[in-house]
Amino acid sequence: MPAYQLTVNGRARTVDADADTPLLWVLRDTLGLTGTKFGCGQGVCGACTVHLDGKAVKSCQTSLKEATGHAVVTVEGLSKDGSHPVQKAWIAEDVAQCGYCQPGMIMSAAALLKRKAHPSDHDIDEAFADHVCRCGTYPRIRKAVKRAAGGVK
Amino acid sequence: MTSRRDFLKVAGAGAGLVLGFHLEAKPRPGETAKTVFHPNAFLAIRPDGTAQVTVPKTEMGQGVRTALPLAVAEELDLDWSKVEVVTGQPGPDFKSMQTGGSTSVSTTWTPLRKAGAAAREMLKAAAAARWKVEAAQCRTEKGFVLGPDGKKLGYGDLAEAAAKLPVPKDAPLKKAADYRLVGKRTPRFDGPAIVTGKAIFGLDVRRPGQRFAAVLRCAVIGGQPKAWDEAKAKAVQGVKAVVKVPTGLAVIADSTWAAFKGRDALAATTTWEEGAARDFSSPALEAKMRAALTGPADDARREGDPAKALAAAAKVLEAEYSFPYQAHATVEPMNATTALSEGAAEMWMGSQSPNRAQERAATALGLKPEQLKLNVALIGGGFGRRLGTDFSTEAAQVAQAAGGGPIQVVWDREDDLRHDLHHPATLHRLKAGIDGAGALAAWTHRIAGPAVLRSWTGGQKAPSQAATETNGAYDIPYAIPAVAVDFAEVEAPTPLGWWRGIQIVPNVFARECFLDEVAHALGKDPLRFRLDLLGDRGIVKFGRDEADIRRLKKVLEVAATKAGWGRKLPAGHGLGLACHAYDGRTYAAEVAEVSVVKGRLKVHKVTCAVDCGLAVNPAGLEAQVEGGIAFGLSALFSQITWEKGRTVQTGYHDFPVLRLADMPVVETHVIPSAEAPSGMGEPPVPVAIPAVLNAVFAATEKRIRKVPIEDGLI
Repeated sequence: MPAYQLTVNGRARTVDADADTPLLWVLRDTLGLTGTKFGCGQGVCGACTVHLDGKAVKSCQTSLKEATGHAVVTVEGLSKDGSHPVQKAWIAEDVAQCGYCQPGMIMSAAALLKRKAHPSDHDIDEAFADHVCRCGTYPRIRKAVKRAAGGVK
Repeated sequence: MTSRRDFLKVAGAGAGLVLGFHLEAKPRPGETAKTVFHPNAFLAIRPDGTAQVTVPKTEMGQGVRTALPLAVAEELDLDWSKVEVVTGQPGPDFKSMQTGGSTSVSTTWTPLRKAGAAAREMLKAAAAARWKVEAAQCRTEKGFVLGPDGKKLGYGDLAEAAAKLPVPKDAPLKKAADYRLVGKRTPRFDGPAIVTGKAIFGLDVRRPGQRFAAVLRCAVIGGQPKAWDEAKAKAVQGVKAVVKVPTGLAVIADSTWAAFKGRDALAATTTWEEGAARDFSSPALEAKMRAALTGPADDARREGDPAKALAAAAKVLEAEYSFPYQAHATVEPMNATTALSEGAAEMWMGSQSPNRAQERAATALGLKPEQLKLNVALIGGGFGRRLGTDFSTEAAQVAQAAGGGPIQVVWDREDDLRHDLHHPATLHRLKAGIDGAGALAAWTHRIAGPAVLRSWTGGQKAPSQAATETNGAYDIPYAIPAVAVDFAEVEAPTPLGWWRGIQIVPNVFARECFLDEVAHALGKDPLRFRLDLLGDRGIVKFGRDEADIRRLKKVLEVAATKAGWGRKLPAGHGLGLACHAYDGRTYAAEVAEVSVVKGRLKVHKVTCAVDCGLAVNPAGLEAQVEGGIAFGLSALFSQITWEKGRTVQTGYHDFPVLRLADMPVVETHVIPSAEAPSGMGEPPVPVAIPAVLNAVFAATEKRIRKVPIEDGLI
């Protein structure tokens, strides 16, 4: 089994696993980064969303081979201390209920705001189209994205 | 002197809790048992002034790790920034951690306040002794005892002295007017841990040497593997073993992915004994339910002479309503982690029934409950699913079959949809008799379907079955001279479980939509019709429950006024309303504004008024209203159907749940109240569906009597 090299949260990592192993399980089981969540494994709930070279991707649909040589950022790496504007907005709007889907939501929000500093409601709808929150935190997610708008560099 | 244990018995009496010393409050480095003030199982104050509050219920997003500590912190005048929250463990300290039925706040509110008040009096006494003044000259504020002449000592400085004092039996509770924390908006305690990915859910548990397992179960309910070739699974890199367990075949591996891949390989080699349920299907069940609509049934409520009143009626309206099987579809799939050692076990999981999970897993392992330490993790969605113990017992059995663990059993999404403890389908037949004067003189509501309560009683038919299965129907709050509500049980082989809003969701859907039909048939405004039928009544008794009709009327009036009931709407738009007194404790009314354009339904806004007594944490309460409405709206479009003994649905792609773009604006109005707090986890759910469907009728004059809404029906 070849070793694969990728950068996770700014740190170079070498991973021994099958090439087809989803990045999700590399993060959670191999690297111990459990902030990225398993929700469906089918690419339709968004709980596993991470950044690959700054873009939001579903880590359950991204193989280790595809991630090799790229920069991966997970919720643990978004900021050192929860000070990312999206994390701060999430606290200010008291978004989370059970909280399980929220790391994926936050990663999508951060990627959206990096791409578009002041997204419209339609942009927000589209950015979260593949996300599920069964607790129904959606109104607060929308508010938090708007609160963080303009603050993501 | 009252012993600490005696006090705890007194404090816990109201909630059925018998409390004692809690392990989590053991001294930390630099502390000793003597320097930690630990007057009861709920509370420990450390020398540094940190206050640790142990929550006797499990957190699943409903906010108990915020709302319950607030009750202790309020009475004790804690500095909220110095509060640490831990979740209790099932055992002698916490004998009833079961978290369901929207009861967490109502059952713990008094004991938690008493625990805080007793500690407050002890800290005051300790300060008074040190200052040589009377305790009555002292007061508390934000983590300090204040005495005469500007004297001030922190709780941490008093912890050791307070720990030596007797626990008072009847410490006075604060007046609501003096509350500083309760009733204010407090953000979720776990928010910072959640947004940084540090919050630990069951699936995030990692133990030294931990392995992962996936269980291959028969897709057909109750089926068993007949033959399989484990070599195919073991050929997958990382797979360590295949073991037989009562629910199927467990593949043990060194990563979750390897376990899933190994299971796929094993599945390709497995043949099944599908068993008796292989012929079960939704159409066959529906035929049985329809037959049961006219057969024998168990009465839940019978008043007046409905048959006679219907026969004498000038006009009889009749309709059939239908609600499907539903899944919980929690985003965190079921999981539990088990480690076994000689004569002992330890488990980690999200559970709404920690005591039951402990007892049943221990029994499966041949242990006594006290030999199994169960650690309750955060729950990534409960909605009643994790009241079940199927997944936890299975995880214990996997660990035992595999030689001890630690092993984390992980379900995937298809496992979750197929092997959920589903909420069953029901058919409803309703009749309304209108007398010669145009008044509603008779109401009958027959409900046919499988009985959820049997899933909780070991398959037995409980005396309360008819009332439980008709909850939301038998307690119809309107003044009608003749009422009959009954339940005709229909057997189904599917494992069942409680679901957010329980049977009240389908029953209130049918009741409030049919009532809307009656209003329209009589040419009456649906709001006016309801208010008139509620009448000038106070507390009304319905079997085991009672409800205050004045409180129900109030939420209905507030929701309608705030939503602008009766205003002119754009073409294609409609307003609909519904209300319910949930278990007679929480009153909720919702007005939905919808539009139907080219057959596409959009819910624009839901205006909700609620009365749950004192609102302990309004921020959390509003979150429950928003979430409850989202849960109800999801059910308008989702269903589980059965074919050849298995679910047709296998994921979020064919069991759709509400997404952000479809979430309406939610406006919540909380009725100020000095009544004891009740719950808000479930009450917003059942009214959402009829409010929306009544609005659809207002917009289109099309009456939808079947959930889910089918394509092209509007």
